[in-house]
Amino acid sequence: MEKFDAVIVGGGIAGMQAALDLGDQGYKVLLLEKQASIGGTMIQLSKVFPTLDCASCITTPKMSAVSSHENITLWTLAEPKKIEPNGDRFKVTVFQKARYVNEKDCTGCGECEQACPVIIYDDGYDESLGPTKAVGVPFATAMPQKAVLHDDYCIFCGKCARACPTDAIDFTQRDKEIEVDAGTVILATGFLQTPTIKEEYGGGRFKNVITGKQMDRILAPTSPFGGVYRPGDGKIPDSIAFVQCAGSRDKSIGVPYCSAVCCMYAIKQATLLSAALPLADITIYYMDIRTFGKGHEEFYEQAKAMGVNFVRGKVAKIKEKEDGNLIVRVETFGEDGRIEEFEHDLVVLSLGLVPQWYPKGIVNVDIDETTKFIKLIKPMTDPTLTSMPGIFVAGTAGGPKDIVESIISGSAAAMKAAEWLNGKLRDAFFAKELDVKQVTN
Amino acid sequence: MSETVLDKEPKILVIATHACSYPGIDNAGQGHLEYPASVFVIRVPDPVLFPVDFYLKVFEMGYDGILIASCGTDSPYKKSYEKLSKRIDEVYKAMKEKGIDISRLKLTAICTVCAEHYVKEVREMYEKLKAMKAQAS
Amino acid sequence: MSQRTQENEEPRVGVFVCHCGGNISDVVDVEKVAKTISKDPRVKYATHFMFMCSDPGQNMVAEKIKELKLNRVIVAACSPKLHELTFRKVVAKSGLNPYFYEHVNIREQDSWVHSHEPEKATEKAIRLIEGAIERLTRQNPLKPGKKKTVPHALVIGGGVAGLTAALELARRDIPVTLVEKSPFLGGRVTQIDNIYPTGEDGKDLVDDLIQKVLKNDLITVRTNTEVVDASGSIGDYQVTLKITPRGVEEDVEGLDKAIEICPISVDNEFDYGTTKRKAIYKPYPKAVPNLPAIDWNTCTRCGECLKATNNKGINLNPEFKEDTIRVGAVVMATGFKPYEPLPGEYGYGEDPNVITLPQLIRIMENMDPNSKEFIYNGRKIKKIAFIHCVGSRQIEGVHTPKEGKELNTYCSRVCCSTTLWAANRLKKRFPDIHMFDLYRDIRTYQFYEDIYEEASRNNVVFVKFPDEEIPQVKIVKDDKGLFRIETTDILLRGKTVAVPADLVVLAVGIEPNPIRDLIEIFSIPYGSGGFLLEGHPKLRPVESSMEGIFLAGTAQAPMSIQETIIAATAAAGKAATILTKPEIELSPFVASVNLDKCEGTGRCVQECEYNAIELKEANGGKKAVIDPSLCAGCGACVPVCPNRAITLEGYDIDQILAQVEGMLKGVKAE
Repeated sequence: MEKFDAVIVGGGIAGMQAALDLGDQGYKVLLLEKQASIGGTMIQLSKVFPTLDCASCITTPKMSAVSSHENITLWTLAEPKKIEPNGDRFKVTVFQKARYVNEKDCTGCGECEQACPVIIYDDGYDESLGPTKAVGVPFATAMPQKAVLHDDYCIFCGKCARACPTDAIDFTQRDKEIEVDAGTVILATGFLQTPTIKEEYGGGRFKNVITGKQMDRILAPTSPFGGVYRPGDGKIPDSIAFVQCAGSRDKSIGVPYCSAVCCMYAIKQATLLSAALPLADITIYYMDIRTFGKGHEEFYEQAKAMGVNFVRGKVAKIKEKEDGNLIVRVETFGEDGRIEEFEHDLVVLSLGLVPQWYPKGIVNVDIDETTKFIKLIKPMTDPTLTSMPGIFVAGTAGGPKDIVESIISGSAAAMKAAEWLNGKLRDAFFAKELDVKQVTN
Repeated sequence: MSETVLDKEPKILVIATHACSYPGIDNAGQGHLEYPASVFVIRVPDPVLFPVDFYLKVFEMGYDGILIASCGTDSPYKKSYEKLSKRIDEVYKAMKEKGIDISRLKLTAICTVCAEHYVKEVREMYEKLKAMKAQAS
Repeated sequence: MSQRTQENEEPRVGVFVCHCGGNISDVVDVEKVAKTISKDPRVKYATHFMFMCSDPGQNMVAEKIKELKLNRVIVAACSPKLHELTFRKVVAKSGLNPYFYEHVNIREQDSWVHSHEPEKATEKAIRLIEGAIERLTRQNPLKPGKKKTVPHALVIGGGVAGLTAALELARRDIPVTLVEKSPFLGGRVTQIDNIYPTGEDGKDLVDDLIQKVLKNDLITVRTNTEVVDASGSIGDYQVTLKITPRGVEEDVEGLDKAIEICPISVDNEFDYGTTKRKAIYKPYPKAVPNLPAIDWNTCTRCGECLKATNNKGINLNPEFKEDTIRVGAVVMATGFKPYEPLPGEYGYGEDPNVITLPQLIRIMENMDPNSKEFIYNGRKIKKIAFIHCVGSRQIEGVHTPKEGKELNTYCSRVCCSTTLWAANRLKKRFPDIHMFDLYRDIRTYQFYEDIYEEASRNNVVFVKFPDEEIPQVKIVKDDKGLFRIETTDILLRGKTVAVPADLVVLAVGIEPNPIRDLIEIFSIPYGSGGFLLEGHPKLRPVESSMEGIFLAGTAQAPMSIQETIIAATAAAGKAATILTKPEIELSPFVASVNLDKCEGTGRCVQECEYNAIELKEANGGKKAVIDPSLCAGCGACVPVCPNRAITLEGYDIDQILAQVEGMLKGVKAE
């Protein structure tokens, strides 16, 4: 059984940061990523608030550092099937999906993708907006730069295998299970966008009602549309609406909490849109604008000064017109609150954050009953601790966070893991402590 | 060789600092603020590094203006701004002796988030130099 | 791989121009740039690529170095702040000196600022690269020195952030000195008696941490201690501490009595001035250290206290001492203070029943636990009005800054949740109380949302006032209440409303503790509001750009307790990365002396503010010698040398002149 100091589950920004910090301190790390590439949500994003630096420019060097780090072993298409205590260590059973591509031979040239006749729109990198093939490198900056074949779409025609200059396609590969031994585990399993689109908002059927993540893909330099167009008919939108709290602060969809990042990402997208489409009207319908982080309030003020229109009100319903435009019905609040209707040609639902991964049946850590995120057993004094000693949580797996907070919590979880490996944190958990000494002065 | 688009423009050398003005100038970029393209930035720890004759050589070379984007009193280096100000007084003296218009050199302070201030400074200097150039020709 | 001796080779430059996925190439004609620059005879390879920072981009650089024997590399891309280091590493891995690399900024300082002048932006890129070629072909191979690290950390601040950072470091076997300016540990959290979500008393929360810190042999705790001076740099700082004596030297009988009979009475800062304390005092019974302390600013040394202790245990004329310690890293955990409203701001200072939220929290703890009514200043409080964003989210033309200060434009993050948590507690205890909440946006983010929900269930009346309008607090003393607050309510479609109240509570924001002295001592950059500035919000979020200085907690930005502890843990982790290694690499950008030219004038010695230069006997005369670990790399010594014997490595004057000239001339396309 291969032995590691730490197994980190999740190769998004928090998991990568934790891996780099532990690796830099000399610990041997195994990083497990479920997708074919590390990078997480952040690598999909356009620019990031509040500094508007390009997401890719921050993420790719970290991805690169992870993959070239002497102390970090990276397994993609891999996730834990079981994490069990094993003496004072852990036994981690890893499930790894077949890539059907021999990683050693693949040069990432993309010939297989060219040859593949199967065109799919999946919720991967381009959030269903752009086509991909059943085989190919996941995206331009993917790490590792290796092709992957999706067996659920592949028709096994063999065209890719014939096109591959290095004969790297291997249909004989099978999914496998590997057991490894680890001193500690960090769960950095991240989030998903709220999966439910409310019936009142079209339930996902309206073509020109898109999600926040889709808007980010459209705005990215690697946009699947190559610019800002609405998905329904390719028209350049000139009236864009953002619906805040579309997937948060709402018990009816099981998300009672505030997702903490949607106000800022909507304002960021509005800012980028007003630069891309200077003549477009941009409206944000909101209940409360929550720009509480460092530099966030100033960013909000800037957006207001740029002419982004902020309208306080709850969007009750969205109707689709025949021309693809949307009628947005807004309830203003108060005793004599009125209902008003506005027409827009593109609507962005600022969906919230829900946990991506449920530990049930895999590892015995508690989850929070209301929020379903991994439960922090000491939320105030030790916010990276799970209910299992030696297993730590980083990033949005423990609750909604922005990128900066996710990175910081990745570093914090790595520190706790290092203390655990050093034996000192374990002592604090289980052993008797020494007498109190005198304070100097 | 044909004349290029920047040849006719007044050229400004900006001396920027690692700690303050270089990030500040980057900040102008992040905000997509526009300023003349004939502005060239070099990056040093602190402009206190340069002796008087450095500035004179830069003018001799053919630059129309020099903007020293220092950290001001926020310099991470002890007493450097004090020393820099004194040096620039000496440079002004030398410029006068050589008959170089002293408005071609300016000492200013640009912080890490002073994007708009920076753009204002370079635009102002650019307009001044442009007018000066027009007058001369 | 051994480094080739590139300095003797003829320069073979490789130029790589990045598209940055359109960020650059939408404006700059990258193909033209590569083509034009390849006309420079020193350039052996020039190309352009979608994402130079990606793995394929990095691999391309490495491959071309090998294939074409390139010995100088230029990447023209984004700001060097982002990727200079990335490519230095690539170049070093390929066997070249890492400083035979130049990063040319054609995004932040070209394509993004000249987007309407693509032709000019393209030419500018060419000129910038040509300048870089001139500079690079004159570059010496730099070899950074190494410096032994002192495996000891200094943590400044004894609140939750400092206590956490100290404990985490000690658990990585790193000795820590924790200094706290006040006589007691625990910081602001001890002033909060009930914390979301469990209702735990902040004093208990902190006490748990303090006990762990005190039990740890690797941590030395020094209260009443301030940093007054420091020299050195990352890995080895010499720090001078000023220790204010406690005055109370022993736990003797009669100390409680001594406090009681002390004739001096001053505002008690622990209760934010809502109570008084003596000149000999203890903020709360379980305070740590548990000995009372003497406040020398107010003590008149009258000696009354000594009567209570039989002249034992108390020393009214002790010595103020100084001590010096050596540390390898410094964690700044200096915390925050609540915003103090201006006199007259919302009636503050004009009527005692206008108080701040921190004051309310102290009043609630000090209240008689059996009282069925909320009595304050002899008045039964039936109606409370909370006003949010006092000292936060300030707008020019609407709010007034403090004298000599800028407006607090930032959001203080925690006041909304703290206000409503307090409102809910009041409602539970005094069900008849009416509460009004005057706000701009309720920011109960993440899981704090349940506090807001509960407040709504508790019938707190929410009044949303416009950003650019300040609610007017009027003292009326009529049958409805002591105050009438006139404001516009957006929720009532902009109607003017009058809110009655017996008590007005101002939800004041967070300001960093004033630490001007520390900022100067350690040269720490700070930003808006005076909060300490991180090196980069995403790449170095808990590190200062001043190497060796780490940021923990509210000295950096407003944060909740949870966020503070995460930040402190992360900061400790980053410090541990340095301190668990025996040595660190020094900056190669330090001054060096050409001994042949040096005539020992000593001008540089006088000029250096870091005591990095000494005159020593060498080559039959006095010569300047520079200690690279003390040299800050400012270059102040360079111009004062009459013989031009000093060079700041990496910034040779002639080299820079060549670069400047290169940018002026450029390379012309035929």
